[in-house]
Amino acid sequence: MLRKTSRMALVILACGLAVGCGKYKRLADTAIKTADTAVASAGDDVAKYAADQWKQITDSVASAKDSYAKGDYKAAIASLQDIGPKIQAAQAAASAKKTELENAWTNLSAGVPQMIDAIKSRVDILSSSKKLPKGMDKAQVESARSGLDAATSAWTSAQEAFKSGNLTGAIAKANGVKDQAVQIMQSLGMTPPPAAAPAAK
Amino acid sequence: MPDDQPKGPGGGAWDSTQWHEVQKGETLSKIAQKYYGDPSLYTKIFEANKDSIKDPNLIRIGQKLRIP
Repeated sequence: MLRKTSRMALVILACGLAVGCGKYKRLADTAIKTADTAVASAGDDVAKYAADQWKQITDSVASAKDSYAKGDYKAAIASLQDIGPKIQAAQAAASAKKTELENAWTNLSAGVPQMIDAIKSRVDILSSSKKLPKGMDKAQVESARSGLDAATSAWTSAQEAFKSGNLTGAIAKANGVKDQAVQIMQSLGMTPPPAAAPAAK
Repeated sequence: MPDDQPKGPGGGAWDSTQWHEVQKGETLSKIAQKYYGDPSLYTKIFEANKDSIKDPNLIRIGQKLRIP
């Protein structure tokens, strides 16, 4: 009788555990599916402009799937506990970063062409000059000319990067052109515009 | 070295226009000599300032000129 009762208790316990496990498995399964959907619909901008946060999110999902595969459903659920707010925070950060980069591009694309035009005008005049101003020689003008050609080409490349949606790359290139233009202007005795001054670090 | 100042009338933060303030005794030729090394290039300055200079022989002290 006692043996029978013990056996029954064991069966009940096993069933209870199985029911418990089944419940956690279903919860983990739902959590993973929900996270997958949220990640898929978060948008490309999040991965692009909030890369660190995005990595944490995808790592959490990967970790949850790993735990699920090992049968550790509670750990899988725990990995995805706050995935929703994390995705929302990453989306907000990405949106803010994108706006910041777009503003930077607008600023640079308004200013850099003005610098290039001013340099071109001065280089053209100096190239036609019979003599050069005090403290300047022909090599400096030639160097400014080749620097101008390189800057013009790099600016075209920055514009192409922007058109293709590579905002970060476009700004990096545009900042490079700006710095190059500042150097050329200074080498020709010109004063760069105040907005072209290097950003404070 | 020339001392262009991009702080002319209406200049914004990105304004790359180079400016020169006329000093006593200066002429367009002297200014051209200073910036280009060649006085005959005064016409470039005259052309760039046609809105404020009607006669290249008449510039006034304190006048701000664009130096292209």
